[in-house]
Amino acid sequence: MEEDKDQDKSSEQLPDEEVVEPAAAEESAVEPVTVPEAADVDDPSDEPSAGPAEPVQPAGSAQSTAPAEPPSDARRRLKAALWPPRLSRGQLVVALLLFSLGLALAIQVRSTNDHSQLRGARQEDLVRILDELDSRQQRLQQEKAQLEQSLTQLENSSNQAKEAQEQTRQKTAELGVLAGTVTATGPGIVLTVDDPQGQVKADMLLDTLQELRAAGAEAIQINDVRVVAGTYFTDSSVGGVQIDGRSVSQPFRFTVVGNPQDLTPALNIPGGVVRTLEKQQARATITEQQKVVVDALADPKTLQYAKPAAK
Amino acid sequence: MIAVLGLAIGVVVGLFVQPSVPDAVVPYLPIAVVAAVDAVFGGVRAMLDGIFDDKVFVVSFLSNVVVAALIVFLGDQLGVGSQLSTGVVVVLGIRIFSNAAAIRRHVFRA
Repeated sequence: MEEDKDQDKSSEQLPDEEVVEPAAAEESAVEPVTVPEAADVDDPSDEPSAGPAEPVQPAGSAQSTAPAEPPSDARRRLKAALWPPRLSRGQLVVALLLFSLGLALAIQVRSTNDHSQLRGARQEDLVRILDELDSRQQRLQQEKAQLEQSLTQLENSSNQAKEAQEQTRQKTAELGVLAGTVTATGPGIVLTVDDPQGQVKADMLLDTLQELRAAGAEAIQINDVRVVAGTYFTDSSVGGVQIDGRSVSQPFRFTVVGNPQDLTPALNIPGGVVRTLEKQQARATITEQQKVVVDALADPKTLQYAKPAAK
Repeated sequence: MIAVLGLAIGVVVGLFVQPSVPDAVVPYLPIAVVAAVDAVFGGVRAMLDGIFDDKVFVVSFLSNVVVAALIVFLGDQLGVGSQLSTGVVVVLGIRIFSNAAAIRRHVFRA
C-alpha cells in the first residue's frame, strides 16, 4: 500500500552468524492462493494486532464482519492459512524460524527481567557504575578510618582512666599505710624492750620512736597499737605506759617496717637508744627480719576543725 | 497455523527451560529479536497480499537478523553502539508500524 514490502531483498546469501538455521528452503510451496471455502465469519487474527499508531483504529469494530458482507481476499487468505493446518515444507521452515524467534524473545524478556540492569548495560554505563562504586567505596573507607581513629582515642582515654584509677588505688594504699588503716608488710626489725624493773617511761619510748622514724621507719606498731602521726605516749598514774590511751604491758615489742641496715645501726650508736635503755636496766633485743607484718590498725579520726586549704 | 504454533512453542520453551545464551551473543539478541519481529510482520502482510513465498520469507528473516546484528556489532566497534542500536530500533519500529497498518487495512478494512 504505502511502503514496499519486506520481501524485497529476495535472494542474498548472507553469512549468518546469529541464528543457526541453515534452513535455506528451496522453492517448494506456493500456498497462499488456495481458497478452500468461503466462510462467513472469520476471527480477527492473532498476528496483526499491533497497530496502535493510527487514530482510525476501530477498537469497537474488531468483530465488524457483517453477515451480509462477503469476506475479502485477505480475510479468506488469512483464514485459509490459519485453520486447515497443512504440513508443507514451507510451513515447517517458517515454524522453525518463528520458534527460534519466540525462544529468543522469551530469553531476552526473561534475562531483562531477571537480572538487574547490569546485564543489559552497555560498556560506558558499566564504567560509570564502576566509578560510582569506587567513589562510594572510597568514602566508606574514609569513614572507616575515622571510626577507627575515634575507637583508638576512646581506647586511649579508657586506658588513661584505668591508669589513673590504678594510681589512685596505689596512692590510697600508701596513704592507708601512713594513716595506719591498712596492714603493712616488708623487711624490717623487731625491737623488744624488756624492762623487768619498770624503769622505762613514756619519754623513753618516745625517744625510741623518734630514733626509728629518723632512721626511716615506715610503719610501726608497739605491741598491738599502731603508731601513726597522732600517737601520743603518757605515763599512767598507776605505773606503766599508755599509748593512745591504751595501756601497753611489758615487754614492749616494736615491729618496724623499714630498711634493717639503717634501723639497727641507728639504734645501736653510742649514746643511742639501746645504751640509754641499758642504763635503765632494761634489755633491748633487735632482730632483723626479711619480712615483718604490721597488722595492728588505728582508728582514723574524723577531722573536726582542720580543712584542706584551697590552693 | 503450524507457524503460529511454532512461535507459541518457542515462547513457552524459552520461558520454562531458560536456556543459557552464550555471552558473545547477548548484546545482539534484543536487536535480532526486533529485526525478526519486523520480518514476521512483513511476512504476514505479504501473505495477506497473496504474494507470500516461504523462501523469500526465510531469506528476509535471516538477513534481517544478521544485518541488525552486524550493525550493532559495527556500532560497538566504532564506539557508537548505543546510538546505532537506537537507530536500528527506530527504523525497524517504523517498518513494523507500516506493516501493521497494511495488515490492519487488509483485515479490518480500516
